[in-house]
Amino acid sequence: MFENPEIALQELPDTDSVQWQALDPGYKKLRRLQNSIAVLLTTAPIVILPLALRIPLLATIIFWLVWIMFATALLVWPGIALPKRGYVLRDKDILFRKGVVWQSVTAIPFNRIQHVETSSTPFDRKFGLATLQLFTAGGSGGDLKIEGLAAETAEQMRLYVLKQAGASIETS
Amino acid sequence: MKPADSGAWNRTSPYAILFFLGRIIRHVTRNAWQSLAPLFAFLIAYQGDLASKLMLGGIGLGTALLVGSVLHWLFFRYRIGTDSILIRSGIVRKKQLDIKFDRIQGVNTTQNLVYRALGLVTVTFDTAGSSANEGQLPAVTREFAYELRTHISSGKSSAATSGENEVALPGNALLKLDWRDMFRIGLADRRALLIFAFIGPLMDQRSDEFEAFINNTLQSPALDAMQLDVATGAIMVSGVFILLAALLVLISVAAAFLRYHNFELFLDGRTLRSQGGLFTRNEHTMDLEKIQTLQLQQGIVQIWLNRFLMTVRQAISGRKQRSSKLFVIPVVTIETADMLRRLLLAPDAGRLTQNPRSKLFQPISPYYMRSRILFLGLLPGTLLCSALYPAIGIASLTGLIWLPIVGLFCWRNWKRAGYLHNNNELVRRSGLLGFRTVGLLFRKVQRVTITQSRYQRRKNLASLKLYMASGSVRVPYIEHEKAKQLRNYILYKVESSQQAWH
Repeated sequence: MFENPEIALQELPDTDSVQWQALDPGYKKLRRLQNSIAVLLTTAPIVILPLALRIPLLATIIFWLVWIMFATALLVWPGIALPKRGYVLRDKDILFRKGVVWQSVTAIPFNRIQHVETSSTPFDRKFGLATLQLFTAGGSGGDLKIEGLAAETAEQMRLYVLKQAGASIETS
Repeated sequence: MKPADSGAWNRTSPYAILFFLGRIIRHVTRNAWQSLAPLFAFLIAYQGDLASKLMLGGIGLGTALLVGSVLHWLFFRYRIGTDSILIRSGIVRKKQLDIKFDRIQGVNTTQNLVYRALGLVTVTFDTAGSSANEGQLPAVTREFAYELRTHISSGKSSAATSGENEVALPGNALLKLDWRDMFRIGLADRRALLIFAFIGPLMDQRSDEFEAFINNTLQSPALDAMQLDVATGAIMVSGVFILLAALLVLISVAAAFLRYHNFELFLDGRTLRSQGGLFTRNEHTMDLEKIQTLQLQQGIVQIWLNRFLMTVRQAISGRKQRSSKLFVIPVVTIETADMLRRLLLAPDAGRLTQNPRSKLFQPISPYYMRSRILFLGLLPGTLLCSALYPAIGIASLTGLIWLPIVGLFCWRNWKRAGYLHNNNELVRRSGLLGFRTVGLLFRKVQRVTITQSRYQRRKNLASLKLYMASGSVRVPYIEHEKAKQLRNYILYKVESSQQAWH
């Protein structure tokens, strides 16, 4: 028999009550390492360049101070930004949140997923990490990119998403 | 040549040689040097006078083109199956294209002047793949094209089992455009304004030369005899501008006649079809199920004319290189637009209006305006004044005039922003000088994002962004709770829908 019960908006599942999963702790270490390398590689030219160009001392000091602030922010940023990232796998969709100043929560229903991809760079592999990308129609790149997952978790998530996406196709 | 006689390999009409000739000429033009190099080499080596060289060259080129076209036609075959169409082509490099019916987004036809005299058309299969893999059948009859479209539609809807089809015969036109509409399209064409935008700075740059030219003209003996003064010269310059403007409008109107002359819109069952064009007649189709968003746009000229531009987008339209695949209805009244909306989005949607002047639109938060004034007006204005102060002193404060201008624009932008929704669909309104409303079905949404800046968090506001397969629609600065409710409801609609989104 055909049924069409009314749905109360308050009864729909909300994202406030979900248990957000954090990224792998190794990812914070990796990002700090990458940023440290970037800071180290650029510090020498930053120090030498104003002296070589004989820029006035005051301007040089201001330049160095700005650089120190920028480098500190670069080193501190992973500790601030990465705890704000998280994901939730639900029965019908996946949620991903990110952002410090601009915070966003993205939801992708499994029945809209076109394909799933996992990838890892040599740095990622060293730390046992991987990136999961979900693609929907109409997007030019990966519509949802979750970096910093443990390689095993990424693979498990890929299989789960594929299973759920396949189940939704069969249902429809 | 009926689709029903499928299974065998068919060849198109010999008039298709014209199509291949055109294609080869286009190819030769694009790669002129490489293509004509052997001919030039031969002509240089050949001993004789220039006339005979040119004649020989012409004959050689003409023969090569003709032979190439005939060979292309001879090697071009197609076969229509129950669920796909196969196209074989190529003389040296063979190519076989297998286009599944369910991948076909639309079956479009083009009819140039020669084909019109012969009652033939070129059929183009609009697929979701790359344009390089788009199939074309040149020089087939109109009846064949129609039967093919019916066959494809029935193949898609009933998996080609019974031979019956549910496709309705073409009915009366939903919309017909007459010569007055061509003027409206021409006047509303933004390209004319763009040309002005380019001419403006150019005239500014060349003002000295222009003045000298005017002086010389005014000092010419013939005009001296007419005793023209500087005021007359200024009138002449204005006249030139007006003439130029009239010429641009005339070109736009002519372009409208070329593209949309005798434009008619039909609804054949669940397929939207348009046809029109003065010399080359284009027929464009789109399955209603493929529609992702409906856009209604009204620029300044269109406000004055009380008309709208309607654009129907399907999944492939999101790709930048496929923007030409939009289904465009160039000029409609609001009543026609709402009537079309009801027809195109039926049965589960289409009840909302896309009339930008509707009182039903809910406004977005005025904080939208404040944040924009702050980031686009106050901050750049203050920085500009501070930067200019050492150089020009107190006069730098004139830079603050930027602030009320930005304020005015932001206020206008905020007044025009709004949204309305029911259980199945949402319409978003935006605009600055004109209006734009975009309508979408909840069940076709691909993903949803809620974004909050620090400022929005303080005010308990958020921006909701809905990603469709044809692009995204953003509803900015609504209450956070409302954004979450809408997001949760859209997810519910998407996840519980049993209908295909594409």
